Amino acid sequence: MSGQESAVQEKKPWRLSLDTWAVVVALLAALLVRAGVFKHIPW
Amino acid sequence: MADVVVVPQVQPVQPALRFLRIIPGVLLLGAIGYAGKLLEQNVGTYAKAHHWVFPNIEYVLWAILLGLLISNTIGVPELFRSGVATYEFWLKTGIVLLGSRFLLGDILKLGGVSLLLVAIEIVGAIAFMTLLGRLFKLKPKLTTLLAVGSAVCGVSAIIATKGAIDADDEDSSFSIAAILALGALALFTFPLIGHFFHLGDRAYGIWAGLAVDNTAEATAAGALYSDAAGKLAVLVKSTRNAMIGFVVLAYAIYWASQGQAKTVGNKAAFLWQKFPKFVLGFLLISVLATYQFFSKDQVGSLANLSRWAFLLTFAGVGLRTNFRDMRKQGLRPFAVGAIGEIVIAVFTLGLVVGAEKLFGF
Repeated sequence: MSGQESAVQEKKPWRLSLDTWAVVVALLAALLVRAGVFKHIPW
Repeated sequence: MADVVVVPQVQPVQPALRFLRIIPGVLLLGAIGYAGKLLEQNVGTYAKAHHWVFPNIEYVLWAILLGLLISNTIGVPELFRSGVATYEFWLKTGIVLLGSRFLLGDILKLGGVSLLLVAIEIVGAIAFMTLLGRLFKLKPKLTTLLAVGSAVCGVSAIIATKGAIDADDEDSSFSIAAILALGALALFTFPLIGHFFHLGDRAYGIWAGLAVDNTAEATAAGALYSDAAGKLAVLVKSTRNAMIGFVVLAYAIYWASQGQAKTVGNKAAFLWQKFPKFVLGFLLISVLATYQFFSKDQVGSLANLSRWAFLLTFAGVGLRTNFRDMRKQGLRPFAVGAIGEIVIAVFTLGLVVGAEKLFGF
């Protein structure tokens, strides 16, 4: 080292959390049901 | 000027490959869940036709039992593990969709009562677990993890707290194992206790949501009792989950003041980061349902979709419970957790019965 400080930078990829994914998928499914893409989901 | 060293990233797994990796496990969850549903429909009919006395076992229990059987005999092969781990994603998706079955007025009424009960439960559970940890001479951070796991929301709370207070990996795996083992026990004992005391669906659902630690187990323990109890258990458990940020923040500040954890900078950002976003999704769907954004049939479809998501969750709960692994973690944290859970269960049962008389829910 030449007396200079070294800083370490990490570049983290931007990611959605599991919770947020669950909300996105559920809302998308709800919108598809609302739009009539899925007419009836049986149980 | 400082040299800036940019560390090259390890090549991340491509999203498409990650998606392909989860498919076998998700199919396994679906197969076990669906087998549970078929067993529910057919075993009872078969037993009746052959004049056997056989209890009516719901798909929830069949799915968990099948998962437990696989996990504790042949084990879950590596190929399926990534997909099986998605059970928590299905749980949260199911909870958001379940919001369609709650009108905002019900949430405000029950949510208000449950918020009060949750606050009492959290304070009581943390105080008792801390005392118990000291009596059993557990390490202070292990005691913190067990207290948070029992008081708030099981595994997610332990993981969130571990990062915030710089706890050891060993302590967190001890706590997670104890909470999971006790959650598995709660699944089978809570419905029996509920029936023994002739609890109504509402009282039982609130009790399960207050006393069972992990969200998946609380949902299953509620659904094992009845559909209505399952709904209430999810609502109360979600209220408990919403408290996670505040409890973790308080512990992070405490351990930082002891010089044993990093100082929390932006507290609002910390709270937002720890806040379970699925609770907001649940409320949003409920608001949409309240203002009749969905027709009656569509609400029925969303409720069924939520059931399918829970079906995968229940299969996952069985598959990830391995009793041999749990035994390896040692007896002392488990003993502390077990004593704590029994006391919390009795305390919250008293709380619910008292609140039922007081508020008449």
